[in-house]
Amino acid sequence: MNPETLLFCILFLPLGAALVIACFGRRHGSFSAAVSVGSSFAQMALSLWLLWGIWDESALQPQAQWLVFGDVRFHMGFLLNNTAALLLFVVSFVGFWIHLFSIGYTRGDPGRGRFFGGMSIFMFAMMGLVLADNLFMMFIFWELVGFSSYMLIAHYFERPAAAAAANKAFIVNRVGDFGFLIGIIWCYLHFGTVDLAELEVLAAANPEMLLTPISLLLISGVLGKSAQVPLHVWLPDAMEGPTPVSALIHAATMVAAGVYLLGRIYFMYTETALTAIIVIGTVTAIYSAICAFGVSDIKKILAYSTLSQLGFLVAAFGMGTRFGLYEQELEGARLFGVGAANFHLTTHAFFKALLFLGAGSILHACHHQQDIFKLGGLWRRMPLTFLFFTIAVLAIAGIPPLAGFHSKDAILFLAYEESQVVFYVLVLTTLLTAWYMGRLYFVTFFGKPRTEEAEGARESSWVMWLPLGVLAVYSVLGGFMFVYPPGLHFLIDQSVMHPVGGDYTLMLVISVACGGLGLALGYLVYFRMGAESDVVGRRLPGFHGFLRSRLFIDEIYGFYVRAIQQRVAEFLAFLDQILISGLLVRGSAGIAAILGVVARGSFTGSLHGYVYWLLAGMLLFSLYAFGIFG
Amino acid sequence: MSIGLDSYLVVAGLVFVIGFFGVLLRRNTLIVLMGLELMLNGCNIALVAFSRYHATPANPMMEGNLFVFFIITVAAAEVAVGLAIIVQLFRLRQTVMLNELQLLKD
Repeated sequence: MNPETLLFCILFLPLGAALVIACFGRRHGSFSAAVSVGSSFAQMALSLWLLWGIWDESALQPQAQWLVFGDVRFHMGFLLNNTAALLLFVVSFVGFWIHLFSIGYTRGDPGRGRFFGGMSIFMFAMMGLVLADNLFMMFIFWELVGFSSYMLIAHYFERPAAAAAANKAFIVNRVGDFGFLIGIIWCYLHFGTVDLAELEVLAAANPEMLLTPISLLLISGVLGKSAQVPLHVWLPDAMEGPTPVSALIHAATMVAAGVYLLGRIYFMYTETALTAIIVIGTVTAIYSAICAFGVSDIKKILAYSTLSQLGFLVAAFGMGTRFGLYEQELEGARLFGVGAANFHLTTHAFFKALLFLGAGSILHACHHQQDIFKLGGLWRRMPLTFLFFTIAVLAIAGIPPLAGFHSKDAILFLAYEESQVVFYVLVLTTLLTAWYMGRLYFVTFFGKPRTEEAEGARESSWVMWLPLGVLAVYSVLGGFMFVYPPGLHFLIDQSVMHPVGGDYTLMLVISVACGGLGLALGYLVYFRMGAESDVVGRRLPGFHGFLRSRLFIDEIYGFYVRAIQQRVAEFLAFLDQILISGLLVRGSAGIAAILGVVARGSFTGSLHGYVYWLLAGMLLFSLYAFGIFG
Repeated sequence: MSIGLDSYLVVAGLVFVIGFFGVLLRRNTLIVLMGLELMLNGCNIALVAFSRYHATPANPMMEGNLFVFFIITVAAAEVAVGLAIIVQLFRLRQTVMLNELQLLKD
């Protein structure tokens, strides 16, 4: 089978599954689950086959003409290169295991068919986004993943919080996507093409053509989708969705799409834009790490952790790519940012999906008690979940030799080389990461069960712990290249700037120190000083209030929407009522109606009346014919 | 006094006007139909008269007469259809008076 056909199948399998579920499966949960998981499995199998056996690591771009307006031509096509291949692997692999986990998690859910249909649509949209070979096509799938995210966050739509969270996610993303769309259009006007391969050639040949505003507009899409400050507000709320959705969409894949976009067009950024990216990523990383201490909902802690790690990715991309701009003569330096960001993206996808699925397993066993201070003592009751969760916590804390250590090290080393300030902030974030993960971990798993829900917890069935196990294996081994298809090594091994010699020792020491100290602090502060409630909330209520406030960003947005946007919208609505609706629409309809009333008077139904009209017409006509008027 | 073109035209005009007012003023559909026939025949008279008086040795074709034959044929067909409609109308509504047939009003 040739790679083009294979890519085509990988893309359209889940869409077919979603169609089948939409037509036949909405009332048959188990049937839908089988269809969706089957398609996901086939997708994973085909992807692995493609990456391990067929693809020869050269960029592949099958295309078909889509739209032609005169000289303006658009193509639809796939572009399989290093970054796309990596995401193909991550999305299909993590996606399948999360699908499998969902079978157990959604057992007994009346909306199971809808859930699996949404998951399949998401897999389709995400694959399209990964494979798209031009920005317009990418934007279409960009919106589709946003839609499926909306649909799945609102899975429990009878809960007002879930419906509101879905709306919030969609609307906040719209803000970013609007900038993204303008950026794409401007890019088209400026470069005359949105094809990724052609853009790369153009940008390499004329570096002076790159414009900072275009770069910034393209970044604004990243801000929305990857939930970077200031558009980060939707991601914590999105945890209202089912936990597998949080794992798949809001931790492992969709939120990484922003970082993927950055890497996909890494040649499009000017130095100023890259500096902006570094600032945004760094601020997001430290801000979210601080916010994570203010919440006690297990999923929200993980959501803030995701935000923080996404900040890492974005900052890593900015630093590496800027480094490449400065060091043009260094072989392969242009890809350092893409490499570092995508390497951490991959390991993060494994251990964060594992953390979320572990949390899902806990919630499933504990009747959805999400407050970590109301759990406790779960290690004895759920040994497998405990084991795998431990691995994930160690991986995210950056303890060697787990996956998180290797990728986070590469990012810290980049920061060390590139900017002292960013380096210190990221080291502090690493410490905080380990600290809040330690808080979550010790409070949830150790001590005595603090509520009946935690008391009655039992280990979940094999469909739920098997995915945890597989992801745990990848969280342990994700730093070593032999677990990846050979085609990916170029990007996540050769293109990553690994520290060597003394630098390596320094990074190792920093990583172990931060990770160990953070976990120890989490244990000492939040577990030893009493885990029945948040110790900071007991001892320092003012500081805890500050942590909970999230810097009042949601409140500021709320105020802006109420006080400014709402007023403008009301004014526009008034204008709309008066001008468009009143004058233009009602006005023109009214004129036609008046004419109609007048004309209706002539329809008397009497034949004699019509004969008079005939006479009048003939008179007028003959007057015209004799040239009396006209 | 010789009978010239004008006399024919006067007769033709009279017949036409009688027919026209028949159409205009009478309420019985049958009479209206007859009025229509009268108007057609008025035209026919005028056509024949023009044809007769305007014929020249160079152009003796008298096309007006040809028109008249066509009109008579068409009028015969029209009367057949018209009468059939009126018969059906009477069956349907038990009346052929125009002032009672005002379904198209408004």
